Amino acid sequence: MALTCFHCGQPVPDPGRWHSEVAGQTRPMCCAGCQAVTDAIVAAGLDDYYRTRTELPAPGWRPPQGLALAPGGGPTAGSDAAPDPAAEHAAEQALKIYDEPEVQARFVRRDGDHCEATLLVEGIRCGACVWLIERQLQAQPGVGQVSVNMATERATLRYDPRATPLSALLAAAARIGYRLRPFDPLRREQALRKASRAMFRRLFIAGLGMMQVMMYAIPVYLAEPGDIEPQWDALLRWASLVLTLPVVLYSAQPFFAGAWRDLRARSPGMDVPVAIALAAAFIASVHATFTGHGEVWFDSVTMFVFLLLGARYLEWMARRRAARTLDALSASVPDTAERIDPATGAADRVPASRLMPGDHFRVAPGERIAVDAVLLDDTTTIDQSLLTGESRPVPVSRGAELPGGSINTGHPVMLRALRAAGDSTISTIERLAERAAAQRPRIVGLTDRIARLFVVALLVLAAAVWLAWLQIDPSRAAGIAIAVLVVSCPCALSLATPAALAAAGSSALQRGMLVANSDLLLRAAEATDVVFDKTGTLTAGRPGLIALEPVPGAGERLGVAHRQDDLALEKRLLAIAAALEAGQSHPVAAAIRQAAAGLDIPIASQPRTVQGFGVQAVIDGHGWRLGSRAFAGELPANTGGTTAPRPDADADPGDTEVWLADESGAVARLRLRDTLRPEAAEVVATLATRGLQLHLLSGDDPATVARVAERLGIVTHRGGARPDDKLAYVAALQQAGRKVVMVGDGVNDAPVLAAADVSVAVGEASSLARTAAGVVLLGRQLTDLCTLLTLATDTRRIVRQNLGWAMAYNTLAIPAAAIGWVPPAVAAIGMSASSLLVAMNALRLLPRAERRTGLRPDPREVPKPDPRLHGGAG
Amino acid sequence: MEALYLLIPLSVAAIFVAAWLFLRMSDQGQFEDMDAPAWSVLHDDDRPPVAETETEMKSEADADAASPTPTVPGIQHRRSGD
Amino acid sequence: MGASRSLTGETYNYKVVRQLTIMTVVWGFVGMLVGLFIAAQLAWPALNFDIAWLTYGRLRPLHTNAVIFAFGGTGLMATSLYVVQRTCQTPLFAPGLASFVFWGWQAVIVAAVITLPMGITHSKEYAELEWPIDLLITAVWVSYAIVFFGTIARRKTPHIYVANWFYGAFIITIAVLHIINNLAIPVTWTKSYSLYAGVQDAMVQWWYGHNAVGFFLTAGFLGMMYYFIPKQAERPVYSYRLSIVHFWALIFTYMWAGPHHLHYTALPDWAQSVGMVFSLILLAPSWGGMINGIMTLSGAWHKLRTDPILKFLIVSLSFYGMSTFEGPMMSIKTVNALSHYTDWTVGHVHSGALGWVGFITMGSVYYLLPRLFGRTEMHSVKAIEAHFWIATIGVVLYIAAMWIAGVTQGLMWRATNADGTLTYAFIESLKATYPYYYIRVLGGLLYLTGMGVMVWNMVMTIRAGRPVDAPVPRLDPAHA
Repeated sequence: MALTCFHCGQPVPDPGRWHSEVAGQTRPMCCAGCQAVTDAIVAAGLDDYYRTRTELPAPGWRPPQGLALAPGGGPTAGSDAAPDPAAEHAAEQALKIYDEPEVQARFVRRDGDHCEATLLVEGIRCGACVWLIERQLQAQPGVGQVSVNMATERATLRYDPRATPLSALLAAAARIGYRLRPFDPLRREQALRKASRAMFRRLFIAGLGMMQVMMYAIPVYLAEPGDIEPQWDALLRWASLVLTLPVVLYSAQPFFAGAWRDLRARSPGMDVPVAIALAAAFIASVHATFTGHGEVWFDSVTMFVFLLLGARYLEWMARRRAARTLDALSASVPDTAERIDPATGAADRVPASRLMPGDHFRVAPGERIAVDAVLLDDTTTIDQSLLTGESRPVPVSRGAELPGGSINTGHPVMLRALRAAGDSTISTIERLAERAAAQRPRIVGLTDRIARLFVVALLVLAAAVWLAWLQIDPSRAAGIAIAVLVVSCPCALSLATPAALAAAGSSALQRGMLVANSDLLLRAAEATDVVFDKTGTLTAGRPGLIALEPVPGAGERLGVAHRQDDLALEKRLLAIAAALEAGQSHPVAAAIRQAAAGLDIPIASQPRTVQGFGVQAVIDGHGWRLGSRAFAGELPANTGGTTAPRPDADADPGDTEVWLADESGAVARLRLRDTLRPEAAEVVATLATRGLQLHLLSGDDPATVARVAERLGIVTHRGGARPDDKLAYVAALQQAGRKVVMVGDGVNDAPVLAAADVSVAVGEASSLARTAAGVVLLGRQLTDLCTLLTLATDTRRIVRQNLGWAMAYNTLAIPAAAIGWVPPAVAAIGMSASSLLVAMNALRLLPRAERRTGLRPDPREVPKPDPRLHGGAG
Repeated sequence: MEALYLLIPLSVAAIFVAAWLFLRMSDQGQFEDMDAPAWSVLHDDDRPPVAETETEMKSEADADAASPTPTVPGIQHRRSGD
Repeated sequence: MGASRSLTGETYNYKVVRQLTIMTVVWGFVGMLVGLFIAAQLAWPALNFDIAWLTYGRLRPLHTNAVIFAFGGTGLMATSLYVVQRTCQTPLFAPGLASFVFWGWQAVIVAAVITLPMGITHSKEYAELEWPIDLLITAVWVSYAIVFFGTIARRKTPHIYVANWFYGAFIITIAVLHIINNLAIPVTWTKSYSLYAGVQDAMVQWWYGHNAVGFFLTAGFLGMMYYFIPKQAERPVYSYRLSIVHFWALIFTYMWAGPHHLHYTALPDWAQSVGMVFSLILLAPSWGGMINGIMTLSGAWHKLRTDPILKFLIVSLSFYGMSTFEGPMMSIKTVNALSHYTDWTVGHVHSGALGWVGFITMGSVYYLLPRLFGRTEMHSVKAIEAHFWIATIGVVLYIAAMWIAGVTQGLMWRATNADGTLTYAFIESLKATYPYYYIRVLGGLLYLTGMGVMVWNMVMTIRAGRPVDAPVPRLDPAHA
């Protein structure tokens, strides 16, 4: 039987090397880290943790140790280095950044002599962990109250900073294996929590009132008329009145406040009929209680308030759940980075906000990259799951742009910051997503208008019905008018549609699609045509350099012999080309730099970009150019006339070429070939089966475009299109009544993107800020396009279902109520049920609530004791 | 049924008291975490101290390492039970 | 156990818990003995020996008071004062008052033992004790409330564990019920007249009676259940959220079930209907508690095989589920038309009392005793196992006998001939149900025997142990 670590359950690679004493027994450990953590737990007298826990640390968990104790640290490859006191000390020093007021401002609140910090806890697996952390922290000097919430994985810590600084408390938790990170409550959580609590209270009081009033109403329903003597009847009514008061005065507040607001703004919303109905029913019932004559509707009133609040609560929860995706984003914004001074090599942990473009910083494995940066070291792998939904580690090499917010999963690397924290990818995504969430989709404006008209019509109708019944049978007039007001449900319009769109937006975000406005989803559902750009959309956008062909005589000009057997000339030229493309973000530049990896790249000074043509700079005192043929040839003293490179047998008209030239003229031709995305064909086929017309529109050479279109099966294609050509093309389609989805890389072609009905960018995440597209597929997978369209049609279907139901229901219910077939209680039930129905239907769009990493245990699940929990050989 | 004049108002008053209590407890955060408190009683170690002094307990623990640890009443010893 | 946990010298107040726990077992035996005796009297009436103090009419209230208040009540006090200390991590508030609670309560019980056979009684069911004793009960109860809630106010843990909610509700409600129902005008030291008369008295009495069942016999013991089952099973409550929800549901719906005791009486029809409806509604929160308790064992069912204490605790929940289903069924008017005044009611009461209340208390006491006396387990675990099986057979015999007797009675009493006259004379129904009275005696005897085994087990455990007060744990910062 394989030996497993007593603490974490992983196999022990080196039996006998690491062990700890727990409750008088020697237990095997897999590494120094687990041994240290276990020793710390035992030393603190907390070994009961092992007796009561029901979960092992998550698979892949590694104990925070050494450098990883530092704020950025995380899982390290299983280390069997001996515990290094120097590294531990360094790590504890690194934690000191959390004592800085600037950093603390986000998550620590001062309360007189004490501080209250709200932290995220990583590593909670079961209730035993909660107990362990609370105990460990409570044992530190100066700590007042510690409470850890297992469901939200947050810890609130009340402590005296004079007795213990926060960094020491964080270190104490790390020693027993849990990383605590700052959580910023100010931005969203506090406001949300207050609102949530108020909503819940109102709902609770309404529910309680409803239950109790029902209790006193049932005898009246059950008894034959005259069975209950008048004084008991009165007593029951009075009891009902008293119990209804809090419901009407407190729980129903939002309806009255909303109605008042609506009336003041002269735009009646759903709250108006509700408020009128409630007020009328309650006042009539009070009157009946005082006089002893007439019907009372206390039960209907309370039930109505309760059910309606319930529907609103559900819708509100849906929006909160949508917001939680954003929460996850903002919680992942890195707060610190280890800045390195390039001159001295000195390291300095600073708040992420202080990194400037050009700063060098080091990122440890498991640490999040603080800002958009360029990789200076050779290679590593990164995890961009939070940005793109893709959790597979992506290999990157030197010169690659890494988005801020991604996690370095390889080895420690040095990076150069490209943008400040606020402009970096994750901050931008967060900002855009927040903005999108706050936007009011156009369709909601439309449904609101319709709802308003509906309400006005309803009020008029109710008044008419009341007057009519006063002639026919006055005793029933009030009840029927109230029933008409109550039974109608414009909720599908004002309640369900926003909920559906919010849910859809959140669902999209979770799948790595950033939708600027939920309207776009509905418009995408109407799409008839999809227009694709070529480069970067259908192709990987990552051309590869396939040949570098020096022109005849180039070797002599540079003083490098051009021999067949060595590529010294080619390498030199490539190096120069790479130097020119340093810092350029164009895919061609990346290809050239990648090809030149490992070469000695000279420094290019006075770099200059000529838009649309190329770049130029001075290298070793000479001027160099790289760009289109025309650009390269456009130099004075063009010796050699029109030089042409040697003809190449396998030249492909579809390839891209750039020309390198020095002061005397063209020196070499570089050929690049762009590869199609592997999933492109499949996506095109899928879209075709959905009945969409597909187009390929590109500024590239028509022959290439034709080749690509043929390969993919796109019938309609056009190459050599300039931006205004593209605009005209799209406009023509739209004039023919078609709805166009434009798929491009989002950076160029801004006007065309704006013209399309829906514009989708399959772009580089790091160029996010410049995107003009309405939808950004962060995952950079074309297959997300299919997902987007499916989500769009789902959203449209659900909105239509809701509207359809609303129409059917109102058409039947309102006349029925007007005729007098619907007593107020039944009206209340009907309306609330309808409201709940549309709200819940909208919620179907929400993604299922499971965390991406699946680390959080389901609190309702009773964990089974794991036989591994008691160590290997036992 | 005069008794109802007493019982009904009494019940109504009781409801108000209960509701007030519920809301106060809610404000104090009693219902914030619905998962961890279930564990809190399990972590409270109420096994009887078998010796008065620490040294006695320590030597007891050493002895326990050699022989099967004492069981909680009625519970099967963990090793054979699981 | 963490050897480096330092003891600050503060200990929990186990003394009063010990006193109460021991007396729980003692009174349990006494109350059940009286029960057996009067059951035997029903089978062999000559057993009253023509002595006034031994007549059924006088001994039955002694039996009910002894098992409900002496056995059940002392058990609730013992467990609640233990649980509140341990879950609040602080010793009892006002230990002097706690001591008074013990001694005062014992005085109440002794007074009952003396006065009830003497015929000094209110004759209100479960509230028979006369007014001086009622006053003493009030004093003891107020003290109990002060001690309990004072301890909670002084707690070191922010969260109040759910068991304390149930105990708290039980304490407060019983205080209100006791006072309202026992309002009386004293005439002499041993005689008073109820403030209410006739059907009013009946209404108040059964408002009291059923709420007493709901809050004394249900809520209180649910509190016991929510602590001792997780502790014994070493698993957390299945759904803590459900426990909170069903607590509040119970609180808010229990008020109106009372009238179901008064079907087809002078109580107005509509009031009876209310009682019926709410008894049915009560099914839901009651079963919520049962499911929560039983499912706590999820993942640890195997422990039931080997652990007799767990058997007591879990089987008690099965009887609880059964009773809380049977009760609402019996409160339906048509069913009640058959069951009212028959032995079926007695069977229902005893399935709840012997099966639920008895077993949960026994299981909890078996958990407590060793800890109170520095032992790791009871003197004989086999004896616990024996107790369980003997008692279970006893319960089953008892309630089966009563069901059959009850239905027989009901059917015979309402059988009418074609001309509308009753088919059977009362004496005939009595003859038909006689054999079941013997079986009941047997069942009761077995149950009492089990209790006797418990008394023996307790004595042996105490003799081998010594009173121990557990330390209140505090973590020493130096060790962190």
